[in-house]
Amino acid sequence: MTSAGLDPLIHVPARLRIVATLAALPGDDALSFTRLQEMIGLTPGNLITHLRKLEEAGYVGTEKSGNGASSRTSVALTRRGREALEEYAAALRGLLGEV
Amino acid sequence: MNERFDTFRPPPPEPDPWQTVVATDPGDDEALDPRDAAALLEQTTRQAERRFELQPPYLLFTAAVTTLVAYGAVWLSVRNQNPYTGPSGTALAVLYGVLALWIAFVATFMRRTLGGRSSRRQQQLRGIVFGTIWVSVYVLEGALYHVDHDHAIAYGVYVAVAPLIIVGAAAAGYQAGRGNRTQALLAALVVAYGAFAAFAGPSAVWGVVGVGLCTILLASAAATLWQRRAHA
Repeated sequence: MTSAGLDPLIHVPARLRIVATLAALPGDDALSFTRLQEMIGLTPGNLITHLRKLEEAGYVGTEKSGNGASSRTSVALTRRGREALEEYAAALRGLLGEV
Repeated sequence: MNERFDTFRPPPPEPDPWQTVVATDPGDDEALDPRDAAALLEQTTRQAERRFELQPPYLLFTAAVTTLVAYGAVWLSVRNQNPYTGPSGTALAVLYGVLALWIAFVATFMRRTLGGRSSRRQQQLRGIVFGTIWVSVYVLEGALYHVDHDHAIAYGVYVAVAPLIIVGAAAAGYQAGRGNRTQALLAALVVAYGAFAAFAGPSAVWGVVGVGLCTILLASAAATLWQRRAHA
């Protein structure tokens, strides 16, 4: 089965899990980088690479709080990211419906 | 001696990985089969929703047991009172002791569930709104007693049902606004039950509320478990 019509940015196991996890957060909640890493199970280096790709596309936003050693980075799905996931899920349903 | 105390210094906070870790190439940009992608999306969403869930069945179960023990203790102490004078000191100690234990349990659970999550403005606003409502419930109790010194109303019917009706109504509105249909209906059911329970009178109301609220919470826990199994 081809994956034509599926957003290539989301259609990768690790990024699909990142986007789906952030989409499960209620409202405009954000998740700390360390909690997201614990939930997804990627190394910090790999997670940063995936997050940067999603951030460049405007699918996720990051926010730094605190200073120095107590600083924390939170990650949240943007409206554009949520819409992209909805379109991706609809495209998946369409593809699977054709089988 | 000083050396010994030095060993008890709290460890310095861990640096934020986002600031310190070097990005690496994961090398897993291979495409997924759409069937596998659909399964992965569904599984990840379900797992994440469970990790973020604020009312898991076991929490509802502990709330049911707490309600039964707390209200039951007060009912045992007031059931034969005529005229009604209010709960004994022992019953109040059990009521507040059980409630304190449950609040500590919930606080631990919330720290774990909400750990790493942030929406500070919303959380602060929610805390202020619900805190004000809870305090107002007991201020009104004081006002009622101040007006006519009626133990049966201030220390009986009102204090047994007012938290259910007032806080329950606020929770129902809040959950309805967020589109959480099940939680909104559950809160509305608690409000309606509290209103009808008031007819039981100052002594019996404690038993009626304890048993009724316990039943509603157990039914809600069972419904949540049933929903999970249906989606598994």
